Amino acid sequence: MRKRHESKQIQGAGLRLFPTRTTCPGACRVSALSELGKLRGKGLGAEARDTKAAMVFLGPWLVGLVAITLGPMLISLYLSFTDYNLLQAPELVGFENFTRMLEDSRLQNSLAVTFIYVLVGVPLQLAVALLIAIVLDKGIRGLPFYRSVFYLPSLLGGSVAVAILWKQIFGTTGLVNQFLALIGIEGPGWISDPSTALSTIILLHIWTFGSPMIIFLAGLRQIPIMYYEAAQVDGATKVSQFFQITLPLLSPIIFFNLVLQIVGAFQSFTQAFIVSGGTGGPSDSTMFFTLYLYQKGFGQFDMGYASAMAWVLLLIIGAFTAINFYASKFWVFYDD
Amino acid sequence: MNHVPTRRSYLKLSAAVAASVLALSGCAAGGGTPAAEETGPVTIRFTWWGGDGRQKATQKVIDAFQAENPNITVVGEYSDWNGYWDKLATQVAANDAPDIIQMDEKYVREYGDRGALLDLKKLNGLDTSGIDPDTLKSGEVDGQLVGLVTGVATFCIAANPAVLEKAGVALPDDTKWTWDDYQKLGEQVSDSGSGATGVGVQYGDQDLYIWARQHGDRLYDDEGKVVIKPETLTSFWKHTLELSTSGAGPKPSAIIENASASLNQTSIAKNEMGLAGVFSTQLTAYSGAAGQELKLLRLPGESTADERGAYYKPSMFWSVSSRTKHQKAAEKFLNYLTNSQTAGDIMLTERGIPANTRIREAISSKLNATDKAAIAFTDAIADEVRPAPPITPAGGSTITDILSRYTSDILFERTTPEKAAQPFIDELSSSLRK
Repeated sequence: MRKRHESKQIQGAGLRLFPTRTTCPGACRVSALSELGKLRGKGLGAEARDTKAAMVFLGPWLVGLVAITLGPMLISLYLSFTDYNLLQAPELVGFENFTRMLEDSRLQNSLAVTFIYVLVGVPLQLAVALLIAIVLDKGIRGLPFYRSVFYLPSLLGGSVAVAILWKQIFGTTGLVNQFLALIGIEGPGWISDPSTALSTIILLHIWTFGSPMIIFLAGLRQIPIMYYEAAQVDGATKVSQFFQITLPLLSPIIFFNLVLQIVGAFQSFTQAFIVSGGTGGPSDSTMFFTLYLYQKGFGQFDMGYASAMAWVLLLIIGAFTAINFYASKFWVFYDD
Repeated sequence: MNHVPTRRSYLKLSAAVAASVLALSGCAAGGGTPAAEETGPVTIRFTWWGGDGRQKATQKVIDAFQAENPNITVVGEYSDWNGYWDKLATQVAANDAPDIIQMDEKYVREYGDRGALLDLKKLNGLDTSGIDPDTLKSGEVDGQLVGLVTGVATFCIAANPAVLEKAGVALPDDTKWTWDDYQKLGEQVSDSGSGATGVGVQYGDQDLYIWARQHGDRLYDDEGKVVIKPETLTSFWKHTLELSTSGAGPKPSAIIENASASLNQTSIAKNEMGLAGVFSTQLTAYSGAAGQELKLLRLPGESTADERGAYYKPSMFWSVSSRTKHQKAAEKFLNYLTNSQTAGDIMLTERGIPANTRIREAISSKLNATDKAAIAFTDAIADEVRPAPPITPAGGSTITDILSRYTSDILFERTTPEKAAQPFIDELSSSLRK
């Protein structure tokens, strides 16, 4: 029997900082570090030195944050209130960019496309990730190998190379249709037909289930085996074990994955850009919000409008994250 | 007290941190390259779009130029068509524009209007005497010469002799053929059982220009306003749709894929199509990909048209950034590109049939069969071509996107040619800048 309720990561480092039950895969690195800092700080009794060290280590990140993230963000906030064509100085126009969005039917379409992508793609991707994690958790021999193999698409999925591969596979004369032809079905032009193009990209998104799967897998291994043993003694079926034990105890991990994946999915760009050749076509069916933003800014020299769009996206993501946190009260179960 | 952080706080904290970092990083833009410092000898930056062949040829020209001008270093920056314009817009916005810019007809006004390009008339040493004055004028915006034309090309039809022969279809008489003939020919090839598709279905801006003019209409007036009539657009799209539904052309999804395919991957280059629209100077590239010599034909419908559609298009321009610090070096390099025999010998027809007639004659003996055929075809229609359409107004480069979106809506029957016409006109008009 494998030891379910012991955290290998922490043990491997020769430290056992706090009871295993409270560790979690997403946060243990952070917690281990902060605990380490506390121990050392106490030993030396020099908090000032700690602060100094912290600043030194934080420095590069802080510089990056201010110069590469905060600065451009402030400029983009300013630009969102201007008419800026990249070639001439920006001109303040107040809220015009935002009011224009209300009348922009293509923008509204891009929002619809993005929402479908997020609301369909993310739950399906998490479901697949959980399913694979559960299968892998059954103690397969060579687990590290399978784990890596299943994680591979996540590393590749957002890349240009895979998007190009996807385009080939799903072309009118691509692999999928060649296979369908063998069994006598004439497949559509998956990525060139407006009715199937978005589904094809969602499929690509689902395929990149690796990183939530790794997190699920680690989460599954944290669930104390004794719960299952007790349930077995009481005669619970595998299915009710899953719904009564696994899901509730995994809910914090599901929540974590959900927030992360939703934020990421809203910002998806590469897949749609490559698969549609940068057009968001056919017929705007793969026109993600980010892709439309990009086209407005760099294709149509409407950088003020594009900046305003970026801020709208930030607000949307913020709203979704807030809703997620609020809703989590009702379904996320913390076992502490 | 030994405080043990709870699992709840960890998860919440890390989720919140991850969310904000991901959201913020999406807003951060990529950086550019810093401008080179000037010390002693001059360095100028030169940017172009194009494939491998062009990259190699252009680098050879640069090397030859540097050998003759040891004080000037030319740094080449190149990319493909799509990335090129995004990059250029960013560089110009960042006040980091390359000194010499390969420019296209669709963008020359966009940049020229905004003062981003130098008036080449100010370069007193620039020799443009080899270029026909009318051709030279194609690079003028409001009296300023902001683009120096490199060469010309004309839109026409390429025929794939092997495909036609296999289908048992003879080459048409291109001095008389109509669009109906084009379609019938396509149906014959598609129905022949040879596996090939008859004709290409295309919807580039040049296809629309030509259709409009053949039907007594035009897309823009001289002031750059959209003046095309809805009926002309309706007939253009009906014809497009008819080509697909009749079987003469490919199915809608194959049409869309062909439109975004690279030259080597197009059906005619893969010997899977009989006839398709190309620019005359692409003959060598298409023939190379097809492994046989394709044949150029006049556009269908010319003999019966209200006004002939064919025109000489400036294939591209050389522009100089208005903020260049090295006008003299830029002038020297432009002179070399335009007037030097060495440069002409290396580039041949890579950037169109050279606009400089002296170079054009000088290189004629070095050309291969397809280059010669392309020039012969272009010369043969010299008496038939009508003036090029007015230069694309600023903002007009979006026409490619707009046209392709409306056309795919029609091909997939999400709208009809009649319903699409007025919205197309409205959208194109509103994307133009006043």
